[in-house]
Amino acid sequence: MAEVFEITDEVKAQFGVETAPWVYEVTTTSVRMYARGIGSTDPIHYDVDFAKSQGFRSIVAPLGYVGTPAFSPETNDATFGFPRRQGGARLNLPMKGLLDGGTETEYFDYICAGDTLVETSHLADVKVKGNMVFVTNESVFKNQATGQVVAKQRLTSIHLG
Amino acid sequence: MTQAQNSVVTDEMRAAIGVEGSPATLEVEKTNCRMFARAVGHTDPIYYDEAAAKARGHRSIVAPPGFFGTPIFRPGAPPQGPTGGRGFNIPYKRVLNGGTDYEYFPDEDSVCAGDTITARTKITAFEETEGRLGPMLITKRETTYTNQRGKVVAKMYGTVIQY
Amino acid sequence: MGQVYFEDVNTGDEIPQLRKNCSTQQLVLWAAGSGDFYQIHYDKDFAQSTGLKGLIVHGALKNAFLGQLLHDWAGEAGSLRKFGCAYRGMDEPDQDIICRGVITKKYSEGGEHFIELDVWTEKPDGTKTSPGTALVTLPGRG
Repeated sequence: MAEVFEITDEVKAQFGVETAPWVYEVTTTSVRMYARGIGSTDPIHYDVDFAKSQGFRSIVAPLGYVGTPAFSPETNDATFGFPRRQGGARLNLPMKGLLDGGTETEYFDYICAGDTLVETSHLADVKVKGNMVFVTNESVFKNQATGQVVAKQRLTSIHLG
Repeated sequence: MTQAQNSVVTDEMRAAIGVEGSPATLEVEKTNCRMFARAVGHTDPIYYDEAAAKARGHRSIVAPPGFFGTPIFRPGAPPQGPTGGRGFNIPYKRVLNGGTDYEYFPDEDSVCAGDTITARTKITAFEETEGRLGPMLITKRETTYTNQRGKVVAKMYGTVIQY
Repeated sequence: MGQVYFEDVNTGDEIPQLRKNCSTQQLVLWAAGSGDFYQIHYDKDFAQSTGLKGLIVHGALKNAFLGQLLHDWAGEAGSLRKFGCAYRGMDEPDQDIICRGVITKKYSEGGEHFIELDVWTEKPDGTKTSPGTALVTLPGRG
């Protein structure tokens, strides 16, 4: 039986190819909304004065939150919100189903409300198991003001054929 | 004015007319303006793109019609502002949002990302009628939105129907 | 889309319609955009437990649709001074919501050109579900 997706030389050549950068914004409202979404009650995610008293610039982004990509209906996916941009991998993946296969975030600094991050991403891995294609993209987030890498995130999506 | 015989408007409620609730602070940001515009389906780039908004004379991304920012959320804290007639002991179980009107008072610029808005709400009237659905209490509310420069930028007139 | 001018419009004119059709996804987007997470707009079982037939579109979303209708019509040089509506009827997801406006009055005052309109949303069968009014300024050709 033919594989639902074949890892050809053409696919392999796309590993590591960087996308154009995209701005991700971290705001007081977006940090609170994310914290509310996970059910956190820690004032470090809600109360600016409290966060400052703990030595932070502003309220701290909950673990896993690396900002919201700047959205426009012309440039972003209507469902997932991610930007459709230049560069990066173009794979002809099966789309009968789509599942979240996992997220790993590595931090090099705290992310706080008021930060603007610049993200680039590249295809890091593709694996095929039965009718499932595991696609892993790695994103690098830099603080726009300092240029410092503040986080790396590996996102795996499972495409069902 | 004729007082309905079985009025549900108490002295406590009459005393609340015109009394402003605790102010709520609303933050207007690029991200939440975009989210609101996306939810409505706006296509004008002044709601998404800061450069496009600046090119049209605005300070930043513009708050779409009906948007004045997101109230600061604190888990477990009571909601800011008055409860609009819902806090009183009223024998009616059902609540309907009767309508909303916005009035804008132009400042030097529209409400934009970066603005902080203070919202103050008060009840302006209670009205009682007998409708198709039985006796009703109509609560009229008014919210005033003031920006960080102290300028009133908009008012919202809302109607809550209980029956 | 070109700018509309005060001199070009008359009482009785209808402005270009805006047709909407809310998927349940759009109702969830609106929940996030507005901060209103009342379950009658995304949880069918919950909605039915309150006596509704099913999910209903947020009144405030229809209000915001009227805001878009007016903003898109008034253009860059126009401004929205007043708009709103009453919530008279319910709309369901996956059904057209037609946003309409008709000019009821035009006048100039203090160097500004004002247009009053009746605005509303209606169902495909013509039932008005959110009737309201609006006040808009338009630029003059002068």
